[in-house]
Amino acid sequence: MLERDITISNKLGLHARASAKLVQLLQGFKCNAFLVYRGREINAKSIMGVMMLAAGIGSTITLRTDGDDEERAMNEMAALFERKFDEGA
Amino acid sequence: MALGRARLVQPSQPNVDMRPLPHAEVEGEVARLNVALTAARDELHQLRGKLHGALAREVGEFIDAHSLMLEDPELTTGLYDLVRKGHYRASAALQMQRDRLAAAFDALDDPYLRSRREDIDHVIGRVQAVLARDTTPAERQIASRVGSVLVGDSVAPAELAHLTEIGVLGVITTGGSALSHSAILARSMRLPMVVGAHEALKHLSDDDLVLVDGSHGEVIVHPTAQDLARYRQYQREQARGAEALLRLKHAPTQTADGMEIRLYANAEMAADIVQARALGAVGVGLYRTEFLFLQRRELPDEEEQFTAYRDVVLGMGGLPVTIRTLDLGADKADSTGLTLSREPNPALGVRGIRLSMAHRGLFTTQLRAILRAANFGRVRIMVPMVTTCEEVVETRALIDACARELRSSGHEITDHFEFGAMIEVPAAAIALPALIRHLDFIAIGTNDLTQYTLAVDRGNDALASLYDPLHPAVLKLLAQTIATAHRSRKQVTLCGEMAGEPRYTALLLALGLTSFSMHPTSLLEVRQELAKCDRGSLRRQGSGLLRAQTRKGIQRILERMQG
Repeated sequence: MLERDITISNKLGLHARASAKLVQLLQGFKCNAFLVYRGREINAKSIMGVMMLAAGIGSTITLRTDGDDEERAMNEMAALFERKFDEGA
Repeated sequence: MALGRARLVQPSQPNVDMRPLPHAEVEGEVARLNVALTAARDELHQLRGKLHGALAREVGEFIDAHSLMLEDPELTTGLYDLVRKGHYRASAALQMQRDRLAAAFDALDDPYLRSRREDIDHVIGRVQAVLARDTTPAERQIASRVGSVLVGDSVAPAELAHLTEIGVLGVITTGGSALSHSAILARSMRLPMVVGAHEALKHLSDDDLVLVDGSHGEVIVHPTAQDLARYRQYQREQARGAEALLRLKHAPTQTADGMEIRLYANAEMAADIVQARALGAVGVGLYRTEFLFLQRRELPDEEEQFTAYRDVVLGMGGLPVTIRTLDLGADKADSTGLTLSREPNPALGVRGIRLSMAHRGLFTTQLRAILRAANFGRVRIMVPMVTTCEEVVETRALIDACARELRSSGHEITDHFEFGAMIEVPAAAIALPALIRHLDFIAIGTNDLTQYTLAVDRGNDALASLYDPLHPAVLKLLAQTIATAHRSRKQVTLCGEMAGEPRYTALLLALGLTSFSMHPTSLLEVRQELAKCDRGSLRRQGSGLLRAQTRKGIQRILERMQG
C-alpha cells in the first residue's frame, strides 16, 4: 500500500469534470485507490464519491493506492493533481 | 429564428408516483430502471460522438462526467435498493436518490457545490425523462412538444440534442450566458436559443405563441402580423439558402472571377471521410492521428496504424490525404505514459515533432505505417510544431531510412509521397524561407499560430477577448507565410478554425490563399462564400489590411470586403 499527501491546486477543486478525469485515469488500473480528507475515506474510482469529498483549492488530501500496479497508479494520479487536471489556468 | 408554442418547464417537477409497488411488480420495475439507465447512458454516448472540434473537448468533458455518474454504483446501487427493498417506483427512487445526494452536497462547505448539485439534477433528470418516455401519458406530452419552444431555468448541454429530436424548435432560458456550453452547442446545432431572459417564466404561459430570434437574442411574445411577416421572410431565405447549399455539392469551387480554389477536409473519423467525399472535398488537408493514441494503455503498433491510415487513403479514392504525425503534448491527456506529465508549461514543452523526436521508436513506427499506407493512394506526410530546419531535415532523413528498410524487407513502397510541415509557431513563419527549401508543401495552423504569436492560451476564458486571429501581428505572419510559399512555388493550405469560417473567407482570399482545409460540415458554406468573392475588388478593398493598426480598423476593412 502506498500513500502520498497532495495539495489541491486547481481553481475549482474536485468538481465534476476534474473528478471524471481522475476516475477515467484510475479505470485503467487494477489496484484499489482511495482519497482521504478530513478523516473520510472514499473510493477514488467512484465519481460520486470524489465529488462528495468536497476538497477545494488549498486543501491537502491523502492519496492511497493498494494492489498490483499501485506505484504507477499513484504516480499518474499525483501527476494529474499537479497538472491541475489540465484545466489550463 | 423559431416560432412555436411556449412550453414551460418548471424546475424539479418530475412526475413522481410515490405509491408503493405491489410485490409482483418489483422485478419488472427493476428492469425498467435498468433500461432507463442504459438508455440514458447510450444517449450521452451518442451525443459525445456528434461533437467535434473544440466542442468535443469542452462539452465532452461534461458528458464524460455525467456518463461516469450514471455508471457509478454509488448512484445506482442505492436506486436498485430503493426499488427492491423499499418497493418504490423507479421515478420515486430517482427522486429520493437525488434528494439524498443534494442534501449531502448541501452539507458540504464548498462555494462550488451548487454546480455539483446541477450535475446531479441533470443526470437524474435525464433518467427521469427516459422513464417518462415509455409511459403513455408522457408520450402524449412529448407529442405536444412538437412545434414548441421550451422555456425553463436552464438546459444541460446533453439535453439539447434530445430536444431537437423530439421536435423542439427553440429554447428560452432564464439563466445562462451566451458563452455557456449549452449556448455554444445550440449555435452549432442551429437551434434558436435565447439565454438570460430573466423574466421569461413570469411573462410566458403554456401555449403562448412566441418568436425566438437566437441571432439577436430576442423573444417576442404574441408576435404581431408584422413580426410574423418578418419570420416568413426569414423562413423563405433559409429555405432558399438550404437549397442553394445543396446545389453546391457538385459545383466547382471557384471565385466570382473564375479562380479555382481547393477545399480540403480536416478528418479524424471514418464519418468525416464519407462526408468529405459527399461534399466534394478535393482531399484531406489534415488527418489527425492522436485518436489512435489517446485513452488507451498500450501504444498502437505498426499494423494497427497502417490499417487505420490505409482505410482513410482508400476511402478518399485517389484524392490526396495529408497525414499529420502525432501531435501530442503534456496538455493532452494520454494514458500510455508517453507524454511528460510534469511539464510546467505544456504548450511550450515536449509536444508535436519534439515528442516524436524524443521517442524515435514511436516515430519510426508511425512513419513506417504511413509509408505502407501510401501505396494505396496519394499520401502527404506532415509534421506538427516545427521550429527549426534541423527538425525538418532529420525527419526527412528518417522517412527515407524507413522507406529503405521497408523495401529491403520486401515491402513495396512508393516514391510518390510529399513531405510538409505545419507552420504554427511564429519562429517557423519567420524562418520559412529557409525551412521551405526542405519541404514539398506547408499547412498553416492558425489556432496555434494565434496562440503563440499573441502569448494567449486559447483555452483560458479570462483571455478570451485577447485571442484574436485578426490581430495585426497574426495577419502579417499569415500574409508573409502565404507569400513565401507562393514565391517558392510550394502549396500552402490553411487548416485552422479560420479556414472553415465563412466570415474570414474573403480576408484569406485577399491574403492570397487558394487552398483551405476545414471540418467537412463547413465545406458548402465556404464554397458559397467563395463564389461571391471577386479577387480584383477584394484586392482594392483589402489594400489597407496589413497597414491597419487596430482591431476596429481591421474589422472595418473586413466588412467592406464582405460587401
